[in-house]
Amino acid sequence: MMAQRGYWANLRTGLRTVWTGLRLTFRHLKQARRRRAPVPIWDPSYFRQPDGQVTIRYPHEAIPVPDTGRYRLHNHIDDCIGCLKCARVCPVDCITIETIKAVEDLGTTSNGQKKRLWIARFDIDMAKCCYCGLCTMVCPTECLTMTKVHDFSEFDRDNMVYHFANLTPEEAEEKRRLAEAAAARPTAPVREGASEKPAAGSGKPAFAPRAVPRGQSAPPGQAGAPATRPAFAPGAVPGPEPEQSGEAEPKAETSSPQAEERKPTPRPFVFKRKES
Amino acid sequence: MGSGMEFFIALLGPVLGVMFVALLVASFIALYTLAAVYAERKVSAFIQDRVGPLETGPRGLLQTVADILKLLLKEDIVPRMADKPLWVVAPFVVFSAVFVGYAVMPFGPELVAANLNVGVLFITAFAAFEVAGLLLAGWGSNNKYALYGAVRSVAQVISYEIPAGLAVLSVVLLAGTLNLQEIVLQQGIGASGPRHLFGLPFLPDVSALGGLFTWNVLAYPHLLIAFAIYFIASLAEVNRAPFDIPEAESELVAGYHTEYGGIKFAFFYLAEYGGMLLVGLIGAVLFLGGWHSPLPNLGPVRLADWTTGPIWGIFWLLLKGFAAVFVHMWARWTLPRLRVDQLMYLCWKVLTPFAVAMVVVSAFWASWR
Amino acid sequence: MSTSPAAGAARWAASDPNRVRLKDLRTEEMVLNMGPQHPSTHGVLRLEVVTDGEIVIDVIPHLGYLHRCFEKHAESLTYPQVIPYVDRMDYLAAMNNELAWAVAVERLLGIEEDIHPRVQYIRVLMAELNRIASHLVSIGTFGQDAGAVTPFLWCFRDREHILNLFEWASGARLLYNYIWIGGLMHDLPVGFEERCREFVQYFRPRVRELNDLLTYNTIFVERTANVGVLPLEVAINYGCSGPMLRGSGLRWDLRRDDPYLVYPDLEFDVCVGRGEVGTPGDCWNRYKVRAEEIEQSLRIIEQCLDQLQRGVARRTADFDPQKLCPPRVVPPRGAEVYARFENPRGELGFYILSDGTEKPFRVKARSPSFSNLSVLPEISRGAMLADLIVILGSVDIVLGEVDR
Repeated sequence: MMAQRGYWANLRTGLRTVWTGLRLTFRHLKQARRRRAPVPIWDPSYFRQPDGQVTIRYPHEAIPVPDTGRYRLHNHIDDCIGCLKCARVCPVDCITIETIKAVEDLGTTSNGQKKRLWIARFDIDMAKCCYCGLCTMVCPTECLTMTKVHDFSEFDRDNMVYHFANLTPEEAEEKRRLAEAAAARPTAPVREGASEKPAAGSGKPAFAPRAVPRGQSAPPGQAGAPATRPAFAPGAVPGPEPEQSGEAEPKAETSSPQAEERKPTPRPFVFKRKES
Repeated sequence: MGSGMEFFIALLGPVLGVMFVALLVASFIALYTLAAVYAERKVSAFIQDRVGPLETGPRGLLQTVADILKLLLKEDIVPRMADKPLWVVAPFVVFSAVFVGYAVMPFGPELVAANLNVGVLFITAFAAFEVAGLLLAGWGSNNKYALYGAVRSVAQVISYEIPAGLAVLSVVLLAGTLNLQEIVLQQGIGASGPRHLFGLPFLPDVSALGGLFTWNVLAYPHLLIAFAIYFIASLAEVNRAPFDIPEAESELVAGYHTEYGGIKFAFFYLAEYGGMLLVGLIGAVLFLGGWHSPLPNLGPVRLADWTTGPIWGIFWLLLKGFAAVFVHMWARWTLPRLRVDQLMYLCWKVLTPFAVAMVVVSAFWASWR
Repeated sequence: MSTSPAAGAARWAASDPNRVRLKDLRTEEMVLNMGPQHPSTHGVLRLEVVTDGEIVIDVIPHLGYLHRCFEKHAESLTYPQVIPYVDRMDYLAAMNNELAWAVAVERLLGIEEDIHPRVQYIRVLMAELNRIASHLVSIGTFGQDAGAVTPFLWCFRDREHILNLFEWASGARLLYNYIWIGGLMHDLPVGFEERCREFVQYFRPRVRELNDLLTYNTIFVERTANVGVLPLEVAINYGCSGPMLRGSGLRWDLRRDDPYLVYPDLEFDVCVGRGEVGTPGDCWNRYKVRAEEIEQSLRIIEQCLDQLQRGVARRTADFDPQKLCPPRVVPPRGAEVYARFENPRGELGFYILSDGTEKPFRVKARSPSFSNLSVLPEISRGAMLADLIVILGSVDIVLGEVDR
């Protein structure tokens, strides 16, 4: 820049742009007499607020959280049927459920489903929760919901575990005894828990990747995928080579199960500093 | 014994007096720093569309008080591998270098702690002395970032002494004195000798008019450029943005005071803000009429006369100093930071040649007058 | 900086002082550990910097402080469960990551073409909004690396509006889990399109303001132009993508060159570093590409809004965003896909290999930040220490994605 533009031009641009910047910041300094109101985004005036201070003085005021806000899980236990779908879908396994088969009639949920299980334990560890909301989407009775309550920090991590069971431990013990007594006659006792679901990966069938040359003998489900993709059209000429070509070759030698199990011999790590 | 006692008592008076003045100035600097840190936070906040401190005290006014209390109560940690004597003494060296500068500052017609006839030289010398403290801090910390900061700041401050010194010299040549108080007196209603508007002899004499028109920047228009050079160089001398490379936060964490905490850190802060005001005051004294009022005498409306006096003097000088400090802050929150070599480019290839030109103009002006 | 005393003195005594030249003075290199706790490493990156005074001789980035085994985790999660993990890779552009994962799995299932146009347009809208949000962070932190703090806060001020829009639509501000395999979590809330259009109107002048304050500021230009020049061939060889590659002058944008969703129907320019100031491939041009991409994203958003409000993707009563979401995502055994997408930081690619269960057998994420970071030593040798920070800022890494 210095070399390109020459001394005087550079000096002039420098003074001009510095002055532009100073004027701009001074305008903001003056604007700071006004401030925008903490209106929510769905308010029509959201983008018509005056320029100026934008800070929300948080504990004193807050932008309302939309109703879709996913900030805290809540289980309306009266509607819970103990189906374990939420516990299964949770990516971080933060929901632990323990159910006891009821011998008596538990009635129905508010959307008319029959309740058959006591929920002896319905614990959500909000400290583990990743707030993805998947559990609320699979819930068949919509009893598990994300609420817009936020700011629930605790000093003790145990307080982050929310208990939603509809039985006290003593009651649960009694119900369990009843269930076992009832089960002793016709069938085996039903007792399930999220912790009993198959450990990650262990239940998978053994699978070894096979090298499938594209477009030749692809499995039926996959056949459509590459074909329907839009044609690859590089615009600029010196682009990197597209991945489509020659993908199968390097995979061929590593694809057999034996090759997978063979452990590579550890190589000493040699640190080389590059010459400057 | 008796004579010793008398001697002691005779000595006590002046010593106490000096100590009283020193304490007065020191407490003024401390109070001003509290206010300036608060102001800086507010200015930066407003420029950035934020609100700044609000919670501590009404409108957050006590925020800096709380901060200084926190700093005072902090444990005084000395890094194990630090060069302890150097490390401990550095913040005080830096602060005293700034503090001493206030001794020769004329705050009003009779208000000057030490009316030195080499005041300009004194201030320049002590401003350079600050470098020693910064180097001690950087070296004593035994921290690579601190060392970088110290080396950078030494290079920077010493380099920028040149354009700043030359800009000051262009005033001194015209004033014919190194005494700050005399330089101020020349720029107001009490000036001896005629002062023509814009320094041009065919324009009317304005020495009776006073006010704005007798300030150096208007009496000698080329000093406006000298003032700009001085102002930019002074920004660099107090390590303020866009020349804050010694403490460049994004590069050197905190530069030479990376390892400091507690009261020692507070002293660096005092020095930084004290330095900002000091260079602003020097600029005001040399170029903007010092403690003189900007209001001229207009016929029967003797504005300049009415607004001159010890209290007015302090008011006007501080007003000018604070204005300079505000511009420091304004620039800081507007501009990015220069790189070391660009800093030197600006110093040696832009400011210094222009400053030399100003000295030459002043020299011709002084001899032609 | 220090001469070796004995050797120096001997040489001094034995010879004519004028014969001691600068290169005879022995100086020592200093290794400076920058990070993992450092204001400008944008997270927990550690740079081992070999310096000679202010000059950077070599940089060795050390990674892994934020490694969370994303690829291994993905093997034990069902396909929809991976989405929250994908969000956490490039956490500044979570929508783009979700979109990438969702479209990749859809391609694996062969349902990519069946997606409702409204879903597609909403996805593109969200991705482009998030691109703006991500570029705002990038530009802001880049300015801060160069020492200008104010642009950073102005950028965050405007990013906040985008996050509010996202929160309204998806319920979360940063990690959305909004774009699902086969659809979306919800439809857009009523009034979203209008507010979004207002945002575009609100935001355009702010971009101009930012250009005035930062882009053309002489100090900023001096700090960034001709600094860290990345020649095009080096960029290609290192696998750089996104603004890094375009900053070096190659018109390469996967939205145009390997299009997905409805991008072929949308009109936008691919911004490249033109060397308007400095040379193509320097920090300023990379920065400028991002700044221009913000404006292009605004164009795309406006076109999406046209379609969403009046065109093929308008709101209808029977629109179900989850209509195509499969209850169980089970791609056929042996199916594999490599799908790549233009993220704010470059090419995000997912290689997925299915073993016929509802969990992927193997997932590989090709993250743009990682590839872009690898070129850092190459372009910062010989620069000054202050330049290194600026170069790192212009590479614009997100450590969540570098380490995954």
